[in-house]
Amino acid sequence: MIGIVPNAAHKPAAERRTNRGRGLLFVVTATMTVVAPLLLPMSAYYLNLLMQASTYAVAVLGLTIVLGYTGQINLAQAAFFGLGAYSVALGTVSFGLPFWPALFAGIGIASIAGVVLGLASLRLGGHYLAVVTISFQQILTLVLSNWISLTRGPDGIPGIARPIVFGFSFADSGAYLAFCVGVLWVVGICVGRLKHTKLGRAMQAVRDNELAAGVVGVDTYRTKVIAFTLCALLGGLGGGLFAGGFTYISPDQFSFAESVVFLTMALLGGVRSPCGTAVGTALLILLPEWLRFLKTTYLAVYGGAVILIMVFMPEGIWGFLQTLRRLLWPPAVLPFGQVAPLPLTTQVAREDDSIILQVNQLSKHFGGLKAVDEAELSVRRNTVHALVGPNGSGKTTLLNVLSGIYKPTKGRLFFEDQPVTRLLPHERTGRGIGRTFQNVRLFKSMSVLENTIIGAERPGNGVAVGSSGVEQHALAALDFVRLAEFRGVAVQSLSYGHQRLAEIARALAGSPKLLLLDEPGAGLNTVEKSELVQLLKRLKGHGLTILVIDHDMSLVEQVADRITVLNFGRCIADGPPAEVLRNPEVMTAYLGNAKPHVAT
Amino acid sequence: MSLLELENVVVAHGKVEALKGVTLRVEQGEIVVLLGSNGAGKSTTLRTISGLIHPLSGTMHFLDRPIDRLSPEAIVKLGVAHVPERRRVFPGLTVRENILLGGSSRVEASRRELETDVDQMLAVFPELKPFANVLGWKLSGGQQQMVAIARGLMAHPKLLLLDEPSLGLAPLIVQQLFQTITGIRGQGTTVLLVEQNAHMALSIGDRGYVLETGRLVAEGNPEALWNNDEVRAAYLGGRKTG
Amino acid sequence: MGIALQLLFTGLGVGSIYALVALGFVLIYRATNVVNFAQGDFAMLGAFSMVVLCVDLQLPYWLGIPITLVAMLVFGALFNFAVYYPLRNRGFQPVIISTIGASILLENGVLAAYGPRPQTLPSFCSFPGFSIGPVFFDSQYLLILGVTMLMVTLQFLFFERTLLGKKMQATSQDKEMASLLGIPVALMIVLTFMYSSALGALAGILVAPVLFVSVGMGSSIALKAFAASIVGGFGDVTGAIVGGLALGVVETFGAAYISVPYKDAFAFILLVVFLLFRPQGLFGEKVAEKA
Repeated sequence: MIGIVPNAAHKPAAERRTNRGRGLLFVVTATMTVVAPLLLPMSAYYLNLLMQASTYAVAVLGLTIVLGYTGQINLAQAAFFGLGAYSVALGTVSFGLPFWPALFAGIGIASIAGVVLGLASLRLGGHYLAVVTISFQQILTLVLSNWISLTRGPDGIPGIARPIVFGFSFADSGAYLAFCVGVLWVVGICVGRLKHTKLGRAMQAVRDNELAAGVVGVDTYRTKVIAFTLCALLGGLGGGLFAGGFTYISPDQFSFAESVVFLTMALLGGVRSPCGTAVGTALLILLPEWLRFLKTTYLAVYGGAVILIMVFMPEGIWGFLQTLRRLLWPPAVLPFGQVAPLPLTTQVAREDDSIILQVNQLSKHFGGLKAVDEAELSVRRNTVHALVGPNGSGKTTLLNVLSGIYKPTKGRLFFEDQPVTRLLPHERTGRGIGRTFQNVRLFKSMSVLENTIIGAERPGNGVAVGSSGVEQHALAALDFVRLAEFRGVAVQSLSYGHQRLAEIARALAGSPKLLLLDEPGAGLNTVEKSELVQLLKRLKGHGLTILVIDHDMSLVEQVADRITVLNFGRCIADGPPAEVLRNPEVMTAYLGNAKPHVAT
Repeated sequence: MSLLELENVVVAHGKVEALKGVTLRVEQGEIVVLLGSNGAGKSTTLRTISGLIHPLSGTMHFLDRPIDRLSPEAIVKLGVAHVPERRRVFPGLTVRENILLGGSSRVEASRRELETDVDQMLAVFPELKPFANVLGWKLSGGQQQMVAIARGLMAHPKLLLLDEPSLGLAPLIVQQLFQTITGIRGQGTTVLLVEQNAHMALSIGDRGYVLETGRLVAEGNPEALWNNDEVRAAYLGGRKTG
Repeated sequence: MGIALQLLFTGLGVGSIYALVALGFVLIYRATNVVNFAQGDFAMLGAFSMVVLCVDLQLPYWLGIPITLVAMLVFGALFNFAVYYPLRNRGFQPVIISTIGASILLENGVLAAYGPRPQTLPSFCSFPGFSIGPVFFDSQYLLILGVTMLMVTLQFLFFERTLLGKKMQATSQDKEMASLLGIPVALMIVLTFMYSSALGALAGILVAPVLFVSVGMGSSIALKAFAASIVGGFGDVTGAIVGGLALGVVETFGAAYISVPYKDAFAFILLVVFLLFRPQGLFGEKVAEKA
């Protein structure tokens, strides 16, 4: 499931050298930080401080995944931390288990709690998620303090044992710290790599635009639950290591206040990157030590800091530095080599004009408003079918029902003769329906190529996940719309016309059998529009079926084989353009009735 | 002095230039019609005039006062009332209450004066009288449109901006609606009407402008516009139909 | 039977406090689409203000209460400008986080200023209460119930009868349309924050003689009040009141018949149950389908 997309073979040599240089730097730094505690003499005070920092950092990395990557709020990280800690403590002290089984038990328990909590609350998200996580946190604190027979209550649990590996005991704090730092490096690298995997991209898609993510093929619910579980897992891991390090724990170390501390560490450093996590945790653990006089008020300062960060520096310190770097050293526009042409459709004969999409008696009511009223539509393979109608006629509503964003009030949908009326958006994408939006919904934090790769990673695309094949497929889609040279650029900096093309490329990368285009010409100038017409004609030539909504009749005229006209949610005409545009009812719908008289 | 003057107004939605240098004017006592297909920038024009959007460049003057930097609340106090598209009747308030709030810009008026005005409005729109205490979300589209217009008129505006009032309404209702609009002009309120329904709009307008992708492509009296190829092209494609 | 009635009375009293705080949540949410996680701290500040004015400075209650309420009105305005206004266009997550930050700041600020020892405030009435049969009607609880009913009635009249109330309703239903009519939207929002702040403070003032006044009292009330408003149907004013009362009763009965130390857990368990099976609560509309 977690595959790593290796560097594409055609990357220039210079870039490969930079990557190797960076890798070397990592290894050297990592080794130094792990070895340092073993070699340098350090007071117990500093050892404890660094142990706290490294175990906290592991937990905060969990927040990087769930909040930074996936955009979901979790205010119970201290509870998961506590579950891990208490598992180790109770496991070793009360149940006599050795350290490792107790640690794994802790990770397991925290993960299960995360799954359950996630399943329960992630359908609703937002405020509900915040409240459920706070509630869970409070309940856990209550249990830890009051279930004295199990947890020993407020007295806490002393005398937690350190782990033993092949007879070597980590009783020496220096050695244990080295161990914790090592774990932190491993986790940090994994979290960093996660960003560039299919799962990581799915998470970021959910964060950037959950609606579009579903339409592009991401199972948003499952992605959120996985993110939440991973966060809980890391919380448990951190907590277990914490318990082993400090050999004494008590309930007040795992309260809501600590969850806020974790959150602040994540936000301060920059919640979207593991480096940010490290920076934030280090600062917030070391700073209070240097600002001793604030000891009584440090939490108040945290609170104020959170507000200030949100207002002035929402990307955190690391994010701010990254933005600065990008301004000063903008990434170069990469040249591209030869790319294999895009395999757009599978085994669809050019002459095949059977019905691919059938809409029967479809209605969508919003209370008393009949946005779509018993619409009937048949889209045939290998055609460009246009859906037009005056403003408010229900076109976009109909398209939203076709994508699965709205559930129809009545009626049925058939795609390739299979009923799809009840399928979720990502399931429809999995069947081969692709879609673009009227107001472009690209994933803003990612590059053009990454956006397209997400499209290529839709379920059932037939391209092996995690292979270079995915990237090749995405590049082919970009090449088709002539955007390949922009592949490394952030979508935010593209012109509007190019953003539209990027969204089409993303949909094409999913090898759709049917492409739904919602007002692709909106906001384009004349030149861009004529280029769009050329693109649509090229797509048609490849055997792709297209259903397009647009208001620009000259555009529609040039590409459509068939036009369906909607008015007040009903289909009032359906046929070839010449016929439909001459239909008197259509003319009335658009232009009204009476010939104007000169007003006096 | 024109009632409303726009000079080279440029408006952007993020990266897209929605209006690319629009120049138009509205004289006192006219019904001016703004036509164009969807996405042409008609609603954007009205939203810029009423202060919901600020132009990137260009100037707007109402009775010779610059209004390009003013807030919507300030602009409505000057005498420009905007009835936005899709009516936007407050769903949780009754018809009376909706119309009453239309007078919010008249700070000197007492509650009693405003209530009297509401009664007058209900006389102008007698179909609403039986629904005076019905909540907004329960009304039909046509009723909501009448409430929205009555609400706009409560501000005693010099200029009424109407955004696609015929949207989603049955043809018969639309005809009544446009008669009402003519009546409003008769009472002394100037009207700037945005419509997709070109025939209807041109049948009551004195003058018209045609927008296409943010630019004015035609201007003139209704007869001239109706026979103009640009207008046809904007709606029905590049060739003459029929 | 007598015990049950006594518990019911106490539960309603506790529930009234939750209802008052929940009302504050709902009003801010309807006006701004934002959940204010510092709502409970308005109650805490109200309670602490009373301690400072009436215990430390020995002012009489009839002076202390109005001063506190006025101060909290001003505080609500400040809160709006410092915490909500700069983030009003950034989506709800930064605001949630920011209000959590504000909550921490307020609680620890008071902690630093006043110290951790819980304070007590004497009851408002010199006479302790009266008995009817087996039930003892504590005077402070009677006061809580009475004031809450009065506030709910006054609020209803304000929103339904006055022009300003209508304007505030309009703002919470469609901000942009309200501004097009000339309603000063930013002012309406400030007023909403001011009123919610005073409402929260009132809850704190009323409950102070019954509980220990501590920095954490606001948070625990707020979380439960939030749970109550979800149970009642989030965004619905009636729901906030009914939810609050219901929660108070459930919690009181739970503490008596099931367990005291886990008393606080009942609110959350009830909340989770509702979220799983009926997220729209008792009165709310179905949680919106995506557009």
